[in-house]
Amino acid sequence: MSRSLLLSLLTYALLLAGIAAVQGVFLALALPLVTYLLVGYLQSPEKVKLEATRHLSAERVTPNSDVEVTLTVINRGSSLEEALIEDVLPAGLAVRSGFSRHLLRLAKGESYTFAYTVSGPRGGYVFEALAVRVSDRLAASPSNIHVEAKGRLFVLPPVTRIRQVAIRPRRTRVYAGSIPARAGGTGTEFFGVREYQPGDPPSAINWRASARYIDKLYANEFQQERVADVAIVLDGRLRTNEFARGHSLFEHSVQAAASLADALLNQGNRVGLLLYASYLSWTFPGYGKLQRERILHALANAKTGESQVFSDLEHIPARLFPAESQIVLVSPLSEDDFAPLIQLRAQGYDVMVVSPNPVKFELSYLPANETIQLAGRVIHMERTLLLQKMGRAGIHVLDWDVTEPFDLFVKRRLSRSPVWLHAVGR
Amino acid sequence: MTIIALVLSILLATVSLAIGYVQAGAAGYLLGFLLLAVIWLMTHFRKWYWFSSLALLITVVAAGYGVWRGFPTVWMLLGALGGLLGWDLSDFARRLTYASPMDDIQGMERLHLQRVGIVAGLGFGLAILSVVIRVQRLAFEVAVGLVLLAALGLTRLVMGLRKY
Repeated sequence: MSRSLLLSLLTYALLLAGIAAVQGVFLALALPLVTYLLVGYLQSPEKVKLEATRHLSAERVTPNSDVEVTLTVINRGSSLEEALIEDVLPAGLAVRSGFSRHLLRLAKGESYTFAYTVSGPRGGYVFEALAVRVSDRLAASPSNIHVEAKGRLFVLPPVTRIRQVAIRPRRTRVYAGSIPARAGGTGTEFFGVREYQPGDPPSAINWRASARYIDKLYANEFQQERVADVAIVLDGRLRTNEFARGHSLFEHSVQAAASLADALLNQGNRVGLLLYASYLSWTFPGYGKLQRERILHALANAKTGESQVFSDLEHIPARLFPAESQIVLVSPLSEDDFAPLIQLRAQGYDVMVVSPNPVKFELSYLPANETIQLAGRVIHMERTLLLQKMGRAGIHVLDWDVTEPFDLFVKRRLSRSPVWLHAVGR
Repeated sequence: MTIIALVLSILLATVSLAIGYVQAGAAGYLLGFLLLAVIWLMTHFRKWYWFSSLALLITVVAAGYGVWRGFPTVWMLLGALGGLLGWDLSDFARRLTYASPMDDIQGMERLHLQRVGIVAGLGFGLAILSVVIRVQRLAFEVAVGLVLLAALGLTRLVMGLRKY
């Protein structure tokens, strides 16, 4: 019940009591209440017109970094005796220092500037408006208004710099890059020998092969290096990422996806991102820094989710990916993910799986008793079998213990071509 | 500053009503008024600000009952006024909790107390005048006018309540 309504009710109750009892003293009792109401109504602001501008010290930050929010409120209407100004924070952000709420007087034409610091986890945050409550000094007739002051803040996932991610899809694009293209041309890796053609540099002549023939010369041919299409598929299913007591592997998966996207784009590849969770979120493939920004923004908003339709990987829309391109799946994996990945492999895609190890992750925070250790060993064996099956099917699986920094892990496992690793028995 | 004024207002309300009732021979209510003062203060410090509206209602009803029974009018007036001031200051103290330490809280307190003081003085003065200046006979037209005013006010009140 509003304050003025309560006083009005009391006033009229006294008035009615006075009329009913035919005693004027009741009216005398009501006079202080009426005076209070009248003064409040007379002093209430006639015209409330506020403008606000917002400035953020940064619009793109990493998680839990401080961002200073500065707001300036200008009173374009009549003087305000009492104004409670509060900046409505988006859900997820927390005030680190300063105050987002102020109670003040604001004369006509006067402005007030205040600042505070916020931080938050990964995500996209939108500042909409200020909530302002204005009234006279007695607050007899307060009014609530919203003053627009828009702003956007992106807390992007941290990107670990990776120098080289060795991939080798069957099909490449026409632009020069770092991926062997299975075609002869200019490059660094030996591809084959062909007949010498006018214009070939003399250093390319293969004298050993040419010595067998009197009238012909043969030159070395090198493997062309080109860019490729890469699709990063980030598994956001609740059942593979979320564990008991609020522990989640998803942040590690997001960090891995961000770092891989950054490295692959730096190598000149055309990279797209598919978030596979309660719904599909597709970032169309592209090149360069702009694409990097698009992918990081998509990852900033990525959340885990559950859906009956997307509970397994069967519904990965392969038609989104160019034929025989590279697919990098970032997923902790589950038993029933084997068949869909084999299907993708059978369709000609080169599939790499970066899998944060859920067994080691869970064991790290569970109590170390015998039962849990035994269960951990059993599940670990099951997982090892699954990964080995995938490896035998031609899927390159990288089992990542999340306690190891991702850049070191990639440097150890992905800086060289997987064929080379296989050749040396690693 | 506000807390001191609040305590004084609550004491004004309850002590005035207590004195008025005791002078009229209704000493049995004395304990009730003392209890009201204690509970009012306790609920304020526990941040149960809603109780001040109930306390205003109690003081006004007690004052109204007192004048109907013919108890000393001045004490009833002071009781109702104290209840109004206590209710206002309790809500003001609640609003002040939203302020940040950087805000000019003392300045706002000073201005609010000035305004409330003026309103209280004006209201009490008018009330005393209305009691002292007695109209010997109330003309029928004036009585009809007052009834019409009451009816108009009630109509507007009902229209306002419909919004809820």
